[in-house]
Amino acid sequence: MFREYEPVGAGNLYRMNPASDLMSGIVGFILSLFVFSYLIGDNPLFRIATYLFVGVSSGYICALAWWQILWPNLVQPLMFGSLPVRMALLPPLLASGFLLMKIWPRLGFLGTPVMAFIVGVGAASAVGGAILGTLGPQLWAGINTFDPGLIFSQGSSWLGLLWNGAFVLIGTVTSLAYFHFGAHSASDGTVRRLAWIEWLAAAGSIFIAVTLGVIYAGVYSAALTALIERISSLLNFIL
Amino acid sequence: MIRILSVLIAVLAGSLVLLGYFLPALQPVQNMLLRWCIILVGVASFLGVFGLISVHADRIRRREKGTPYSFLLFISLAAVFFFTLVLGPNHPVAHAVFNAVILPTEGTLMALLAVTLIYAAIRLLRRRADLMSIVFLCTVVLVLIGSATLPFGELPLIGTVLQPWLTQVLALGGARGILIGVALGTLTTGLRVLMTIDRPYGGS
Repeated sequence: MFREYEPVGAGNLYRMNPASDLMSGIVGFILSLFVFSYLIGDNPLFRIATYLFVGVSSGYICALAWWQILWPNLVQPLMFGSLPVRMALLPPLLASGFLLMKIWPRLGFLGTPVMAFIVGVGAASAVGGAILGTLGPQLWAGINTFDPGLIFSQGSSWLGLLWNGAFVLIGTVTSLAYFHFGAHSASDGTVRRLAWIEWLAAAGSIFIAVTLGVIYAGVYSAALTALIERISSLLNFIL
Repeated sequence: MIRILSVLIAVLAGSLVLLGYFLPALQPVQNMLLRWCIILVGVASFLGVFGLISVHADRIRRREKGTPYSFLLFISLAAVFFFTLVLGPNHPVAHAVFNAVILPTEGTLMALLAVTLIYAAIRLLRRRADLMSIVFLCTVVLVLIGSATLPFGELPLIGTVLQPWLTQVLALGGARGILIGVALGTLTTGLRVLMTIDRPYGGS
């Protein structure tokens, strides 16, 4: 029933024909205009484009989940794999069946242990990723800023490196203090943070504002590039 | 019974995967559990799309406001799913759908962001003109001017000194603080799930 899946590569991409290219161009042109119509406010044309986009994307993602996850990792090995491979895939096959019971409210409880498995493995991956992928590298990068071996190997610019490293360290500590919400009751009955944490948080707010400003500028540059590309593609299609 | 079983499965699978990061002997078990989890996430994506379909099917059945849009979504989802499933994602039809609908709509939505971001910045100044907002907007202007390709070359102070210092020193400090904060939050949330304090899978 299904065509054998082949990974995308230079040799196995089907060639598009000019008629298909033209149709894609016309539909893309119309949808771009529909989406741009949002500039004059929410309207039916924009809704048509967004609902179509959500429908097509969902269908496409679902089919990709089949071809890129379920077919190569579950169905194909179960159909054509050796006996040990088939036996090893029985638990996920069974779990998939239980998970699909979530479709029916009466049998949905059967999928709960499978959801628990996904959440447990996901939480463990998140914890491992946070420790090994973020906390460790970021802390080491902060420490290495003040490594004497690295600083003094830079010749006459060592003072500038120390200066910049100090700013980075102050930025890191004060930004973390900004997100510290531990508070104590004051003598007048109000609940507020300690005074020195308030000062650190105030300094941290400046660093956070600068960071968000840099991120905003990056996103704006990307959006501007996309705007230029879309306008140029619309003009190219007309001309 | 199901609740106890769910908690046991979550704790056992999570602990084995977490220990696999630190004990090499457990890495084969970790890899196997991760492979199973990837398969189940693939199946769960079908459940998510089924949820989307059932919401819009309800809207069509009750003839609520926006029924034609729901009908459009339903038809487009079913058609693309069927053709891509039967023909494969490398077939010209799948490519044509991607190039005609997904690519231009995504690109145009991204392009709209250029306008909405400017609008948001103006609203920020109107609604909350405090020190943080002013520092934020000044940074945006300086970084954009400093990184723009101007006909007469780089601006002497902004492009060569100020913009690199803002992005590579001040923003690095703030970003590192935010990243460490996010990692600590992730760590806490993950450990709460593994210690069964939080049970988002419905085992409470």
